[in-house]
Amino acid sequence: MTVSGLGPHGESPSPPERVVLLPEDIRRAKDRDFRVGIAMHTLDSDWSRLLLNGMIGTFGESGVVVTEVIDCKFSPDRQIEALERLSAQDLSVLISLPVANASVAQAHKDISNKGVGLMLLENAPTALIPGKDYGGLVSADNFGLGQMAAKALSDFIAPKTKVGVLGFQADFFATNQRELAFARWMERNRPDIELVSTRFDTVEEAGAVGRRMLQEHPDMAGLFVVWDTPAESVLSELSELKIPMTTVDLGKFSATSLASGGSIVGIAGQHPFKQGVAAARTTISQLLGYKIPEWIAIPGVPISRATVLEQYQSIWRTIAPQEIRDAFFANQSDP
Amino acid sequence: MQTNKRQRARSKEAVVASLAEILTLIRLGRANTRLAIEESSEYGRAIVADRLATLTDLGLVHENAAGESTRGRTPRLVQFCADRARIFVATLGSNSIGAGLVDLDGNLVTEHHETTDLAEHPDKIVDRILRLIDWTMSRQLEGQEVWGISIALPGPVIGLSSSPFERQNQIVEPTLVNADVLQRLFQAHRVPVWLRSSVETMTMGEYTRGIEGDVSNMLFVKLGRQIGAGLVSNGQLYRGAIGAVGLIGQLPVAGEPVGTLDGLAGTDMVLREGQKAAESGSSPRLNEILDRTGFITVNDVCQSAQMGDTPSIDIISKSGHRIGATVATLANMLNPELVVLSGDLAQSNDILLAAVRESLYRAAHPLATRDLRITRSQMGSSASLIGAGHIAVEALFEMRTMRQWVDLGSPLLHPNFAEKSDNTPAEAHAGQDGEER
Repeated sequence: MTVSGLGPHGESPSPPERVVLLPEDIRRAKDRDFRVGIAMHTLDSDWSRLLLNGMIGTFGESGVVVTEVIDCKFSPDRQIEALERLSAQDLSVLISLPVANASVAQAHKDISNKGVGLMLLENAPTALIPGKDYGGLVSADNFGLGQMAAKALSDFIAPKTKVGVLGFQADFFATNQRELAFARWMERNRPDIELVSTRFDTVEEAGAVGRRMLQEHPDMAGLFVVWDTPAESVLSELSELKIPMTTVDLGKFSATSLASGGSIVGIAGQHPFKQGVAAARTTISQLLGYKIPEWIAIPGVPISRATVLEQYQSIWRTIAPQEIRDAFFANQSDP
Repeated sequence: MQTNKRQRARSKEAVVASLAEILTLIRLGRANTRLAIEESSEYGRAIVADRLATLTDLGLVHENAAGESTRGRTPRLVQFCADRARIFVATLGSNSIGAGLVDLDGNLVTEHHETTDLAEHPDKIVDRILRLIDWTMSRQLEGQEVWGISIALPGPVIGLSSSPFERQNQIVEPTLVNADVLQRLFQAHRVPVWLRSSVETMTMGEYTRGIEGDVSNMLFVKLGRQIGAGLVSNGQLYRGAIGAVGLIGQLPVAGEPVGTLDGLAGTDMVLREGQKAAESGSSPRLNEILDRTGFITVNDVCQSAQMGDTPSIDIISKSGHRIGATVATLANMLNPELVVLSGDLAQSNDILLAAVRESLYRAAHPLATRDLRITRSQMGSSASLIGAGHIAVEALFEMRTMRQWVDLGSPLLHPNFAEKSDNTPAEAHAGQDGEER
């Protein structure tokens, strides 16, 4: 798969294979007693858990100690507090997934001003410059994910109908990219479709926002939700919803809906485990003094009902849960 | 009767002049307390108090945070309201488009970059700029007005006036002429529109926000398919006679083969040579990428060079040596303190920078390189957006222009603009700052 997007400052993408740790590098890292703190946007998603598994495992193999993983619960205030606390510790590098843009920019700048290395995941506040304020950004190709979601939904949408886009209100590089890419793909490939957009502030309210959107546009023929957890919130709120939906991330809920022939008809899958491994390797490379790419992008993968089980195994590195397998095989005979 | 009128006119002129002067002091951070403003402007306490009250009412300054006391009680700090309005900025490259918003201090509030193909129909490119304006505004504006749109184009923009409201006679990038960029952007948003070359905006972005230390003379070199340069001389962007400064890609390269700098050192050369190395198998790494993806990118060659792939190192070094030799000639002539290299060729590897340095130091006069620093861009593609914003902000707050609108609170009420903005954009853009009229 190729990467479709550009980095937050227009950087060209570098593939994760670009950063390699040789046995000699791992030996050197083990001798250095590196310590890393991590501030995540949330720990309540399958994506976060998988990313952390990849990252923490890779750090462990190289003798790098993770001192703490903080759940910022999507709150800028919590993240500012977390960054202040972590930066007071004797860390070699702080890894952060910024929960917003302007509101957390200064707190992230302060980290590098204190001389602590900073590595970013998924999002880079606008005012921060790679190589100056932070080492690098490791993210999914979110623009590509948005395009995949549009293409997958398009197959289920009749001509000259209306499609909804449920975006995230916070100014967040990853979700902005998905939303823009989804709209651009539709404009270019399905100009017959009218797009209507709205945004939710928190995952919990995504369902209610989705309901209001449907009430305002009862003729909506399809829906794109920018990631799977709010998509779950929408489907919980609107159990009667029968229109096709696409989203990003192969979580357990979205995988079950896709496998069982539910509302979710396609998923743009990320590789959070691979992303975690790439983030850890990039961090170690930087600590060892290598020049690292400004933006490492992990390509996504389109997942359909036909490929959901194999992609589940590829992304999760384990067999799909029984309920997903049961749903898949029960619906195999359906068109 | 006549005398009274003249006195009133003179009095109004004096008020707007003092408003503009005081706002400039605050905006540029030269004075941030009432006392400091009195000292810097030499206006009396009553006038300063009156003008601050007016500027506060107009939403251009605010007084709140406590400053440092020099005598007696703690003074309140006067600050410029950089969030009063926003400028939409965009930059077009040969294969990418960037868009964002800047505040009135020139800070980027948000930015987005995506790939595009400049060979597409120009109308589609302008459509996309308009879409991105709408999206960015829906996302980022919190009640602010938009005071302008500033666009960086891939080629030179010729025939500019010094007015904030561009003249109709500017000649823009040939591929975009038919799309009538200026007219469509103006019609959609009814705000002043600036067009500049991206090399100019990148130069200003890097100069104002990227570089460290006190630098007055900087040479900026953008490395891409075409190689261009921008010059800051004594702290000002040098635009030459008609705005066509820095077309260094057309310079011939000495030695064999015969050709221009664009052709022998730009990304087309890197791509061509990289493709050859991949197809012949002389570079196993590029060969593997070609097998896997079916094509080679400039970034692949840069990254392979960085990882020690010998054929890729040779390609990038060749490009760097040729660029260095040309920059040496420019350094001999212009004597800059700093040379900044930008573009993927420079950003993604250390090999090119080393080759440029080697060749430049060899070819330039020792005096020209005695204190010369050579760095890569600190700002990347953000430089162009920041520079585009800087150009718009500086034009809006240029002293003579500001005197035409400051007492009204918004440049959109500038008489030359407001009177004509309901008419054709050409007329609206033809206004010249009016103090002398």
